[in-house]
Amino acid sequence: MINDTTLGYLILILPFLTFAINGLFLGNKNAKAAAGLAVTFNGLAFASAAILAVHYFTSTFAPQKAVLFDHTFIPFAGDLVARIGMLIDPLSVMMLVVVTFISFMVNIYSIGYMREDRAMGRFFALLSLFSFSMLGLVVATNLFQMFIFWELVGVSSYLLIGFWYHKPSAVSASKQAFILTRFADSFFLLGIVLVSYVVGSFDFSTINSLSMYPFRNETIDMGLCIMSKSNALILGSILIFTGGWGKSAMFPMHIWLPNAMEGPTPVSSIIHSATMVVAGVYLVARLFPFFAVCGNALTLIMWVGAFTMVFAAVIACTQKDIKRILAYSTLSQLGYMMFALGACKIGQAIITTGWTASTFHIFTHAFFKCSLFLIAGSLIHQVGTNDLDAMGGLRKKMKVTYACTLISILAISGIPPFSGFFSKDEIILAAFQGHHYAVFALALLTSGLTTFYMFRLFFLAFHGEPRHEGVKAGHVHEDLAMTLPIVILAIPAFLSGILGKGLFEHFFTPGKLHVPTMLKVAHAEWIPFVAIGVAVLALLIAWYLYASPKAKAQRALDSTNRSGIYKIIYNKFYFDEMYYTVVRQFIFGGVARVARAFNDYVIEGLLAFSIWFVHKLGELVRTAQAGYLPFYLGTLLVGLLLWRFFGQLPL
Amino acid sequence: MSEFYIPNFIVPDLLLLIFPFIVIGSRLFCSAQSKVPWRIANIGFIAIFVLLNLIPIASGEGRFFITNWRVDDFGVLMREVLMVSAILGIWFAKDYFEHGADGKPQMHQIAEFIGATAFATFGGFTVVSACDMLTFFLGLEIATIPMYALTAWNKKDQLGSEAATKYILMGSVATAFELFGFSYLYGFAGSLHFTEIENAVAAGTSPLLWVAVLFLFCGIGFKLTLFPFYTWAPDVYEGAPTPVTAILSVTSKATAIAFLVVLVFGPLAPVQEQVAPLIALLAGTTLFVGNLGALKQSRLRRFMAYSSIAQAGYIMVALLGPEAIAKTAIIYYLFVYAVSNYLAFFVFGIIGHHREETFASLRGLSKQDVSLAIALAIAMFSLAGIPPLAGFFGKFHLFFSGASTGHYVLVTFAVLNNVLALFYYIQLIKSAWVDEPDGHLTPLRLTKRQRGVIILLTVMVVILGFLPFLSNNVFSGFSL
Repeated sequence: MINDTTLGYLILILPFLTFAINGLFLGNKNAKAAAGLAVTFNGLAFASAAILAVHYFTSTFAPQKAVLFDHTFIPFAGDLVARIGMLIDPLSVMMLVVVTFISFMVNIYSIGYMREDRAMGRFFALLSLFSFSMLGLVVATNLFQMFIFWELVGVSSYLLIGFWYHKPSAVSASKQAFILTRFADSFFLLGIVLVSYVVGSFDFSTINSLSMYPFRNETIDMGLCIMSKSNALILGSILIFTGGWGKSAMFPMHIWLPNAMEGPTPVSSIIHSATMVVAGVYLVARLFPFFAVCGNALTLIMWVGAFTMVFAAVIACTQKDIKRILAYSTLSQLGYMMFALGACKIGQAIITTGWTASTFHIFTHAFFKCSLFLIAGSLIHQVGTNDLDAMGGLRKKMKVTYACTLISILAISGIPPFSGFFSKDEIILAAFQGHHYAVFALALLTSGLTTFYMFRLFFLAFHGEPRHEGVKAGHVHEDLAMTLPIVILAIPAFLSGILGKGLFEHFFTPGKLHVPTMLKVAHAEWIPFVAIGVAVLALLIAWYLYASPKAKAQRALDSTNRSGIYKIIYNKFYFDEMYYTVVRQFIFGGVARVARAFNDYVIEGLLAFSIWFVHKLGELVRTAQAGYLPFYLGTLLVGLLLWRFFGQLPL
Repeated sequence: MSEFYIPNFIVPDLLLLIFPFIVIGSRLFCSAQSKVPWRIANIGFIAIFVLLNLIPIASGEGRFFITNWRVDDFGVLMREVLMVSAILGIWFAKDYFEHGADGKPQMHQIAEFIGATAFATFGGFTVVSACDMLTFFLGLEIATIPMYALTAWNKKDQLGSEAATKYILMGSVATAFELFGFSYLYGFAGSLHFTEIENAVAAGTSPLLWVAVLFLFCGIGFKLTLFPFYTWAPDVYEGAPTPVTAILSVTSKATAIAFLVVLVFGPLAPVQEQVAPLIALLAGTTLFVGNLGALKQSRLRRFMAYSSIAQAGYIMVALLGPEAIAKTAIIYYLFVYAVSNYLAFFVFGIIGHHREETFASLRGLSKQDVSLAIALAIAMFSLAGIPPLAGFFGKFHLFFSGASTGHYVLVTFAVLNNVLALFYYIQLIKSAWVDEPDGHLTPLRLTKRQRGVIILLTVMVVILGFLPFLSNNVFSGFSL
């Protein structure tokens, strides 16, 4: 009998089996069989998830939580027991569908993309491990299980980003991603230890139903100081968020994400849309009632999100590498999701619009971002370079891709009736309702920037004259295995907003909160119009600069080219120059350069400095080891004296 | 008949005690090349391990044999750890008696080697069974003296002799420290028995006690390679034959940590809180220095020396916790550490049989022998504490134990150090997986036994991690 529990097991076991069979038996030698198996099993996993979702949302049981299965994993001392289970609620069901669907699409796509790679079997094995880890993460019933799968996501991303391990850049990127997220995860682990110690449980249900009141007067000894348990919980919540901070690549721990582009494009696609980076947002959404009671944790989350959103959008405007533009756009969209969660807080109260909006945006973003990456991969595969300089004029050669790209780009730009409009509109509304006007303005601005850089990419890649020899010669064609998922993904990229809106507004609330909740909130009917206005304006600017008959794409890309047909119409030229001056010198050269310099020198510099410092200390330890026996004997006495004075023994 | 009755829980200990004599004695009846001692050793060690597993883990005080030989649940589990280490140690050593490795000549006299290992293991048994200071001290010495001999096993190797000399000199000073500490403890309590010392400590402290504590910790700090008493370790690990290094890093360390556990949760239990700052300092500095030292190494055994120094620091963190949690964490971690460490040593050993034991010899390992490269990666990830491998769960328990008594600063420091550790463990994985193979390196060949052991250990590291509830024995056995 197929019941929900069986489906639940299937969803998790199928990707794992794919990993095990491909990794252990099929390997690189039976690449075709490995690919077939991966696509079939991931397809079945998606089917199971879809049936589960339909069954769940059509039942009367819907917004409640259920646990499909639950096994004891490690019994810690006392009541503290780590379990492995499968939690079912609207959020996890939605994530199950998204992850299995995206993974299914990416698997199909990889047949085409990895066709000539020798290590295809390994690739499919790792890809399934990746989605298995993410699935285990989203169904986690407790913090401990989440952490296990959280780390498994990290390991599999390390293996996938460094998939082409013969490329030094890929290796260093994968190392950077792994170590940086591990750095953040170590705080996550501390947070888990602290919170579970105070609360006495790992379970989300227990942690989410906490109220601060009973903890006010109890204290715990933290080693350095004694603090009240409520403050310890607030500290714990921030530590836990730090885990999500790194995984979701929020500023300043964002640097690993653009560099992670070194992996194969299907990997980037799945990292950016369904697995890995949304894990951070998911963590905050999952523990939302806990964060809500923890002082100003949500305000911190909001500002981290909002800053990353603007910062990444500005940088995206200056990039030429197609995958990097998309990477920064992901950062910016993740910023939207993060700040929407944080913006739920008004003073001491909570409105839940932001939570609904954020989860909705996870949903819609997954489709169009996955689609965009697959498209980028398809272009790169045909043109052989990531550089926008070398593209252009692909419209006529890749008609289907062109249409799908347009849909996805309209979706990410938030133009109705495409999906992104609905979720982004809700996020902006949430900022407004929360009276966070500064963030609200930033969100609108970023919305414009998003449209601008996405259409810049679109026009430069598809419009204008071909700038690439292969394109000119007509060697470009569309690959079926690669185009099929792009087309399939275009459908949810277009429709998931309209169709999902009702579902999300009906079912998606963060659960019972232990803080005052505001039900009556202002509805601002004018916000969608403003948002659309900003988007359309940005679209027009992009069109004017990069695609209008008068625009010279070359010129926009290359500042050394000062002569040319612009001189024919002097006034026009003058106007354009002014325009370019403003856009290039001020926005690109000024703000963006500062932002990039800050990124390159301060953030990466700090990283480099800490590495250098640690290495110096390492050398010191090494030089102390001279092999000279009297010195060694001396250390015994020195150690004795050292611990006599610093050992804090009451001597 | 009743006076001839031997309680069955003592059988493994007795077997282990007569075992070395059987192995060495068997040499009298067969030729030097005979495999008989080796076979006896295998059967004997495994039989003892199986018998240990048959001892039901009892709660409470444990059982006594002639009043001062105590077998409690901690003792039984520690015995199992020590036996695992001994079995893996002789398996590892076998190859070195067949041909030389890492520029050192072949070793001889396997029967005596096994005997020495068994004596060292018996020393560990004695430490965890002791009820008075005299037995306790003797156990530690029984565990250490064979190690001196083992270090110099390769008589033709200059480096080995130098390492052994250093080891003996340093060890003697450390022993002097310990004896000094014990004598003060006796002076303070007026008794050798742990229970009476504990009562005296609970009744009130005096500077005499603190002098004793200081000297005992410094003395054992030498055996456990704590900062700044670790200086002998890199040289000895480097100079000793590779299997001895492996045995040193597991058996000797396990014995030393068992010593501290018995001390801290036995006679010193009433003052655990006052000793905690010292333990925390020792733990923090040791793991930091160990990690820093490991960063800049190019020789594999030196690297493992620093790595095991750091691991000792991590284990110390658990000593801060409440008794049941701390003992559980330490036992579980020692199992995991033994398996992961031996796995790493087996891989290095195989490399050492054909090449120099340096990082450079690992280059392009994945292209020459994938299974070896996978085993290496799993061992390193486990030592670095990446879930879901065994090492992560072990570390989690250690940190949890430290955190349960509120030592968050130290735990934070240890967790951050773990990131640092990841950095150098990944260096090895990088050499094995990323670097191009070097044409000058001699190709690797694995014997059936080597491959079998490597597969067994790799599966253990993964299984212990994926199914930590397998070791329920460890988790739920404690009902102290």
